[in-house]
Amino acid sequence: METVTLTIDGQSLTVEKGKTVLQAAIEAGITLPYYCYHPGIGVDGSCRVCVVKVEKMPKLQTSCSTTCTEGMVVSTRDKDVVEARAAVFEFLLLNHPLDCPVCDKGGECPLQDFSYSFGPAESRMDFPRRVFDGEGVKADVDFGPTLMLNRNRCILCTRCIRFMREVEGDAQISVADRGNGSEIATFEDEGVHSLMSGNLMDVCPVGAITTRDYRFKSRPWDNPSVADTICTFCSKGCSTSEWIKAKPEWARGSSLVRVTPSYNPDVNGYWMCDIGRFGYHWVEGDRRLRQPMLRTTAGTLEPAGWSDVLHALRAKVAPLAAAEASSVKVLASAHASVEEFFVLKKLAEGALGGVNAVSVLWSRSEKKQPKATTFVVPVTDAPNVNGARDLGFAVGAGNGGAADVSALRAAVEAGKVKALLVVDPAPAELTGDFQWVIDARAKGMLPLLVVQAVEMCPLVAQADIVLAGAAWLEKDALFTNDQGRVQAASQVLSAPGDARPDWQILIDVAAAFGVSLGYLSDADIRKAIAAAMPGTPYASVADVAFSRPVAAKHWLQASNPSERWKWDFMFQDLPPVKGHSVQTEQGFVEGRVIPLKPVG
Amino acid sequence: MSFHARMDYSPAKFHKSERRLADVGEPFRFSPEHQATFDRLVTHYPAERRKSAILYALYLVQEQQGYVSRAAMRFVAEQIGCTPAEVEDVVTYYVMFFQKPVGTYALAVCRTLSCALAGAERVTEALSDHLGVPVGGTDASGTFTLLEFECLGACDRAPVVMVNNDHWHEHLTPDGVPKFIEDLRVKGLAALTGCHHKVE
Amino acid sequence: MAYEPVLTKFVKEPNCYTLDFYKAKDLGYEALRKAVTTMQPNDVIEMVKASGLRGRGGAGFPTGLKWQFVLKDTPKPKYICCNADESEPGTFKDHLLMERNPHLLIEGCAIGCYAIGAKVAYIYIRGEFYHVQKVLEQQIEEAYRAGFLGKNIFGSGFDCDVFVHRGAGAYEAGEETALIESLEGKRAQPRIKPPFPAVSGLYNCPSAVNNVETLANVPLIISKGVEWFTSLGPEKNNGPKLYCVSGHVKNPGVFEATMDVSLKELILGDQYAGGMKDGRTLKAVIPGGSSTPVLLPDQIDIPASFDAVAKAGSMLGSAAIMAVDDTTCMVWLAKNLLAFYRHESCGKCTPCREGADWLLKLLTRIEAGEGQMKDIDLLLDVSKNIGGKTLCPFGDAEIAPVLSTIKHFRHEYEAHVREGCCTIPAPWRGTRAPALAGHH
Repeated sequence: METVTLTIDGQSLTVEKGKTVLQAAIEAGITLPYYCYHPGIGVDGSCRVCVVKVEKMPKLQTSCSTTCTEGMVVSTRDKDVVEARAAVFEFLLLNHPLDCPVCDKGGECPLQDFSYSFGPAESRMDFPRRVFDGEGVKADVDFGPTLMLNRNRCILCTRCIRFMREVEGDAQISVADRGNGSEIATFEDEGVHSLMSGNLMDVCPVGAITTRDYRFKSRPWDNPSVADTICTFCSKGCSTSEWIKAKPEWARGSSLVRVTPSYNPDVNGYWMCDIGRFGYHWVEGDRRLRQPMLRTTAGTLEPAGWSDVLHALRAKVAPLAAAEASSVKVLASAHASVEEFFVLKKLAEGALGGVNAVSVLWSRSEKKQPKATTFVVPVTDAPNVNGARDLGFAVGAGNGGAADVSALRAAVEAGKVKALLVVDPAPAELTGDFQWVIDARAKGMLPLLVVQAVEMCPLVAQADIVLAGAAWLEKDALFTNDQGRVQAASQVLSAPGDARPDWQILIDVAAAFGVSLGYLSDADIRKAIAAAMPGTPYASVADVAFSRPVAAKHWLQASNPSERWKWDFMFQDLPPVKGHSVQTEQGFVEGRVIPLKPVG
Repeated sequence: MSFHARMDYSPAKFHKSERRLADVGEPFRFSPEHQATFDRLVTHYPAERRKSAILYALYLVQEQQGYVSRAAMRFVAEQIGCTPAEVEDVVTYYVMFFQKPVGTYALAVCRTLSCALAGAERVTEALSDHLGVPVGGTDASGTFTLLEFECLGACDRAPVVMVNNDHWHEHLTPDGVPKFIEDLRVKGLAALTGCHHKVE
Repeated sequence: MAYEPVLTKFVKEPNCYTLDFYKAKDLGYEALRKAVTTMQPNDVIEMVKASGLRGRGGAGFPTGLKWQFVLKDTPKPKYICCNADESEPGTFKDHLLMERNPHLLIEGCAIGCYAIGAKVAYIYIRGEFYHVQKVLEQQIEEAYRAGFLGKNIFGSGFDCDVFVHRGAGAYEAGEETALIESLEGKRAQPRIKPPFPAVSGLYNCPSAVNNVETLANVPLIISKGVEWFTSLGPEKNNGPKLYCVSGHVKNPGVFEATMDVSLKELILGDQYAGGMKDGRTLKAVIPGGSSTPVLLPDQIDIPASFDAVAKAGSMLGSAAIMAVDDTTCMVWLAKNLLAFYRHESCGKCTPCREGADWLLKLLTRIEAGEGQMKDIDLLLDVSKNIGGKTLCPFGDAEIAPVLSTIKHFRHEYEAHVREGCCTIPAPWRGTRAPALAGHH
């Protein structure tokens, strides 16, 4: 790596050649404000707040557009710089409504934070403010199905426009009019219609673009903890941050209020799609299964205890397998984790005649995206097709292709399967077509149906035995994405009610079938995986560190290196947040992406 | 799977933008001649840079229907290979594109210093009074639209008026306004003095 | 005066804009022939460098250097972008030049292309000059027909296309990177520099953006030689120069002279603008377009050269001299120009977008007699906060009228505040208060 050495505020820094002064300062923890620059979008040079003084240059320079050169001497605290910066903040706030108390961005707003740090104490503007769409909350207007736009708050950094043009690939946002009358606009005011729309809220440095999903739902100081994990709604496996809102003192626990992407240069960069961002509500939704269930002799499904359902398994299903191994099959969704597949494999090999007893199911859907997009959302709506493949399960065409469960289906429809165990820790709609199972049940071709699931759905309604599992946010688990990258999804929430992590359920199920595995924790399973798969990326999974919900302040400091420092301001004047601490056992882990090489 | 399982949003709760939109207009296509002209002008630019011809496309639209409607913006977007938003971005930036129908004669009075020193402010006022419209307005008969433009680059012949983005009239005085308007009504663009440097 | 015009010598003759006329009486593309058949591209650049030709658009940057900086060692195409967006208030020289002597520009474009290794020149003409564009396009057609443009010019193997690109009403398009953006079909907003157009300009290819008058000088240099050029005018300010004189003068117009002519002569001299109209007295002079600071009558007895005007505290800019007489209220003048700048601000960078509006509001308030004394200092302070801090020179341009009128005429500002009204209401001024928020 070629480097150059420069001095910023007397601090000597050696940085990669080609970096800008702003990037060098950010990396060194020197605080410089910026709005139009975004590490994922690029340089525009228009907001003018990142000005610095560079020795031997007559004018102040915008640090975002100034490339570091050898021996460069930069000051960010020079009197001229301080004054010029304050002047720009005065300009930025001339027409900004300062409705921070009702603004979703308030508390985590770069304009707010930097104005306090760098702006003048008061404005000398005594003319009425420029207003585009009315004042107050009336100024909030439609901006497509997922977003709201408040033009009065906009500072015209044009990040949203450039995001749409450069990343999303369909330039739906533009500026209407010019000069002082410029406003962010979409054609015919039809708003943004994009699978990537949520990112606009992320890139907007003020409260001009907000999501309807998060609107008025929480304030930053009410979200005391954040957890880094990955999204498991498709085979991409974007790194995400889950924002957890503390419930009032009298209520127990916490709730998930927002999902945002976290920077992962190898997978998703700074972005994520709306499916992952807005599709988390079911996790704490009303359809969640909170306890196991058994079909009574009267034919209804009634809640039961874990010992009851395991007993039922032992009594009704295990004997079938013992009598004829091929009469019991497993239909596993590719939403099952690596650990779960591993246990399934042990179960299949131990009691069902081999891994062929397990069919892997997933759904695929074409995503409507512009041709020019640089962020392609995969067609495979499951996170772990590659994990299943790596463990030796038949996955047919694999990622990108359709799941092939025709053999199992034929066997079921021919009445050759006496008992079917479905393992699906995802909302049923996401996994794919179970209708044929339901139909087979209705025709009486499938005598016994065991479903391990997370949500009530038509399939669960048909089951004899229901095992309440955990969503991906409720367990530590590994998923192998479409690049073959083994990634860790960390536990953020506890499974609701009596629901249990799926690995645990499967160990018990295996035991019911007489396969005693002796794993006491998910970590034990990973140890076994590592031992069983030497020479593969899985060989080191025993050492994976999972992140934990951490105090938002710590998270902010450790998150996306290009943005994190700005958040240093965010919690400065807030009281200490109660009840949340940094993971101590393994320490706080910055990157939760396991640094492994892709498989084959 | 729903994105917004708990979203209690209904459009009725929030009002729509107050942004001024161009008129929708009739469905638009270039006339065969304009299409040919456009296809020729596009060849002035590298093949992958069709967007360069956007201003020409918009001028052709304006020539054909008098203003640039939203329907026309969509059409231009197709012709150029960009999004309608990008077309609107351009249309709203440049002052010579009208987003609503204008009168038969769009009178653009130069208001910048040299013309103002020569009485352009009074010319505008006289025009406004005579036509009975404010700046930006179109008279009842739909014949005249009164506009103010910034420096037109003919300061030696101030005050200057540009008509329909093309034809010029120089040395217009407040007193000359009634005759100017009357001549325009009667003789059309032939009533204008033009702005060719006089060959003395 | 001994100086014989070369740029505008024939502009008053009938048909002076035709190719036949140009061939019979003017250069007739002989300079282009000389360049492409007897000179290497670099020789052309060296010759322009030696002449010391400085850009006529406003900044006065040496043209030869600009061409030399154009990246040569690249497979990318190169472009000449001729800046014919003449929008600086008070400027109308290129208007005349293109309308009456278009072939000089076309020849200049072709030589420029040859020098920097370009095959295409775009003449970006402001949309309002459509009548000029029609002349220009017609004459370009003629030049193609005569073989002065197109393929294999003069059998030299040099190909050159010249296209006219019509703008659509944006002062900012006169800024070189904004012009390039506009040529690319976007809003005319400046780009951050570096990279400079010489490295990455039009279509991200090396480009040179030159003013009309600048390019028109090039064939003259090739044809008449460096010595002829440097013999004209003071050192470092050589060559023929077009001056636009307007405002309260008897005979406004374009005048060609060398840069040793004085500002005073240009305004008051009989062979130029002929002095003030109606026997009034000169009050102030804007020497180089609205973006240049105002000079007082006692400051104008100086050569109208880049360096001398700069020394006097202003700029020659586009040599657009606006003279105002004693009926002119300087607060009104500043307000008039700020209305222009507010309207033309592209809105890309913060200080200009927000600052121009604020300045105009303050000026309007003061001019209407509703201001306070502190508003005058606020004007200065806001101007200071804009100056040098914007993305392009527009910011510096918009504060020039404010700063210089306060500097020289602070007493008029104070009188407005004190008297509660404008103290110099001229008969030629409008009587109605303008709408403030108006846009488009």
